[in-house]
Amino acid sequence: MSHDGPGSSAGAGAGVDALSLDLLAHALAGVRDPRDRKSCRLASRAFARAEAASRRAARPLRREALPRVLRAFPALAALDLSACAGLDDASLAAALLPAPGGAELGVRRVRLARASGVGWRGLEALVGACPRLEAVDLSHCVAAGDREMAALAAAAGLRELVMDKCLGVTDVGLAKVAVGCPGLRRLSVKWCREISDIGIELLAKKCPDLRSIDISYLKVSNESLRSLSTLKKLEDIAMVGCLFIDDDGLQMLSAGNSLQSIDVSRCHHVTSQGLALLIDSQRFIQKINAGHSLHEIETCFLSKLSTIGETLTVLRLDGLEIFASNLQAIADSCKNLAEIGLSKCNGVTDDGIASLVVNCSYLRTIDVTCCHLLTNDALAAIAENCRMVECLRLESCPFINEKGLERIGTLCSNLKEIDLTDCRINDEALQHLTSCSELQILKLGLCSSISDKGLVYIGSNCAKLVELDLYRCSAITDEGLAALVRGCKKIRMLNLRYCTQITDAGLKHLSTLEELTNLEMRCLVRITGIGITSIAVGCPSLIELDLKRCYSVDDAGLWALSRYSQNLRQLTISYCQVTGLGLCHLLGTLRCLQDVKMVHLSWVSIEGFEIALRASCGRLKKLKLLGGLRSVLSPELLQMLQACGCRVRWLDKPLVYKG
Amino acid sequence: MASAGSGDEKAATVTLISSDNEHFEVPEAVATLSQTIRHMIEDGCTDGGVPLPNVTGRILAKVLEYCNKHAAASDKDELEKFDKAFVDIDDQATLFDLVMAANYLDIRGMLDLTCQTIADMIKGKSVEEIRETFNIKNDFTPEEEAEIRRENQWAFDD
Repeated sequence: MSHDGPGSSAGAGAGVDALSLDLLAHALAGVRDPRDRKSCRLASRAFARAEAASRRAARPLRREALPRVLRAFPALAALDLSACAGLDDASLAAALLPAPGGAELGVRRVRLARASGVGWRGLEALVGACPRLEAVDLSHCVAAGDREMAALAAAAGLRELVMDKCLGVTDVGLAKVAVGCPGLRRLSVKWCREISDIGIELLAKKCPDLRSIDISYLKVSNESLRSLSTLKKLEDIAMVGCLFIDDDGLQMLSAGNSLQSIDVSRCHHVTSQGLALLIDSQRFIQKINAGHSLHEIETCFLSKLSTIGETLTVLRLDGLEIFASNLQAIADSCKNLAEIGLSKCNGVTDDGIASLVVNCSYLRTIDVTCCHLLTNDALAAIAENCRMVECLRLESCPFINEKGLERIGTLCSNLKEIDLTDCRINDEALQHLTSCSELQILKLGLCSSISDKGLVYIGSNCAKLVELDLYRCSAITDEGLAALVRGCKKIRMLNLRYCTQITDAGLKHLSTLEELTNLEMRCLVRITGIGITSIAVGCPSLIELDLKRCYSVDDAGLWALSRYSQNLRQLTISYCQVTGLGLCHLLGTLRCLQDVKMVHLSWVSIEGFEIALRASCGRLKKLKLLGGLRSVLSPELLQMLQACGCRVRWLDKPLVYKG
Repeated sequence: MASAGSGDEKAATVTLISSDNEHFEVPEAVATLSQTIRHMIEDGCTDGGVPLPNVTGRILAKVLEYCNKHAAASDKDELEKFDKAFVDIDDQATLFDLVMAANYLDIRGMLDLTCQTIADMIKGKSVEEIRETFNIKNDFTPEEEAEIRRENQWAFDD
């Protein structure tokens, strides 16, 4: 604790200036919201210094910012590099070089998801510069392999490692990490299909502290489960889609008794008996996911649920055939259920839901996607009994209509997320939902009866709305958008695909949404560069934009994006009226752009593509182009793209105009 | 353990003397919520009272209010209620004085409480509103301010 000198607290008028840097930093450490922190940085020099001294997490968006971020924030513990455009080994290593007389970095958690430019050199530099490194997320770095694992193995204090989709990793790399990081507590090797039983066996021997492991989609057999059963502290195991595991494996797992969470979804050879046997030995299970496995629900499994009835809070049985009697059995045993997953379950009826919710009144998440037999009565039962419900997934329930939402609106004031995609509802449904002032996510895709009136209802009270899906709600016009943005200023994700009546005026309304990050406007044939310009100017946080089939958008619109949408990462401009010049300018100036889909740009010449793609080389990671271009673009360009780690998808689709 | 103050042996007390010469006689069990005072008691230098030149009588009284409550009560809800009322102060200057006193006297709980109160005052406010709330002057040069705005925009998130 710092002791500042005789700071005069002599009674009258001690302003915030009286606080020392340490004390002000201590105070600002309690400011969590990123926007608030950014405001503090602008308040005064003292506040800026204190904010820098207390900042614990940063997410640099450009590699040029990295050296400064690492040095300016001495308290930095979590570094998220997944959005750092253009990050590669050289820039990472350079940024990590110790400043003369500088303190060592206290960074503990580093996220490098999809940072495909970083390899073993960068990781070596990272491990060397961050002696307190505890957690690394390297997921989707598909080129990562054993050499990268060797680099990470030097981080002796490593506790958490996520290597999902690191396709090059084999048992050898896993062994290096297991030996080098014996304190490992959490490991995820989802999709690393080169890993076999041998690797898992060594892991279990060398890392006795493992609490959580994810071996989903691996080709491992029951032997891996035998190895894992020796881990005394294992709490959480996920083996989604492990096709070589069956009931015998679950029996081996029963040797331990510490499991709290188990995911055997999509394991086609796991049956109710195997799961029942496992539950018998584990007294503290809280989460079970058996979706799309088990063949059928048998009584042996259902009756065992009573032994864990007190602790079970999450039960997912998606894709199974479930009858009312089964739901009754579940309800009788598991009164503390908070989440139930019944999506695509044949046989779920109103009676079944009723018997479930009468007993399980603590339910917060209910997923009945595609339960075609459900009617408004099921919703009434849910509303009556589960007043604390937060998330309702009702996609594709054709008998549910606006009347069903009446009680939900009145009784379930905690509702945060509701999915009504493909339900036959009209504006009255939204009138009922107005009272849900906590609503954050609202999905109304394919609800063609929704009109501006509905948006007026939503705009009037749902101020916390963050995500709105209006896919094919073709009755929506500019007026509706005006009403929406008046009340819902925090919207981040908006899907307006095929809402073809929207014009530039509507986009002008949308430009007031300062926090907008994802905007989908496929086939909005009436919008032009004017509308795009207002969006670009007003929405500085834009990350993803879909303009496919916006036939009237031309170079002027793209020019505005180049100028103002500096954080744009994903862009679809297929069928737009852009020329080579506009394209070149766009790809050349947007430094964060990584993923571009540009099929059927009829106004761009071959030279135009050549110049534009060269202008962006080194930054693009994913590209979608018309198949015909493959033979006319120069081989040097194609090679250059490949060398820079860019994956190209060639699409052979005929040119057809819609809308 | 030397105990200063009056010769009353029933409960050891210590005398704290504020900057404006107000004397507070306090049971040791309460005073030792302050690590600073606890060290002094352990070192045996509390004869004749402990002078606290950095804390006025008014503030010291409030600090002791906190210490009394937290030394005695054990019910979490009760303490929570008390804490909430304790920092419900109209006068910002008092709040800052309490922060500095908590720091000087090394009372962790009170320091965290008062600092979080300041953090809560910032929640949801714009730059202008923050300046207004704390009566701060914008002492940036236009270039510095522009630089920070630029960084806020594209250098980093979160």
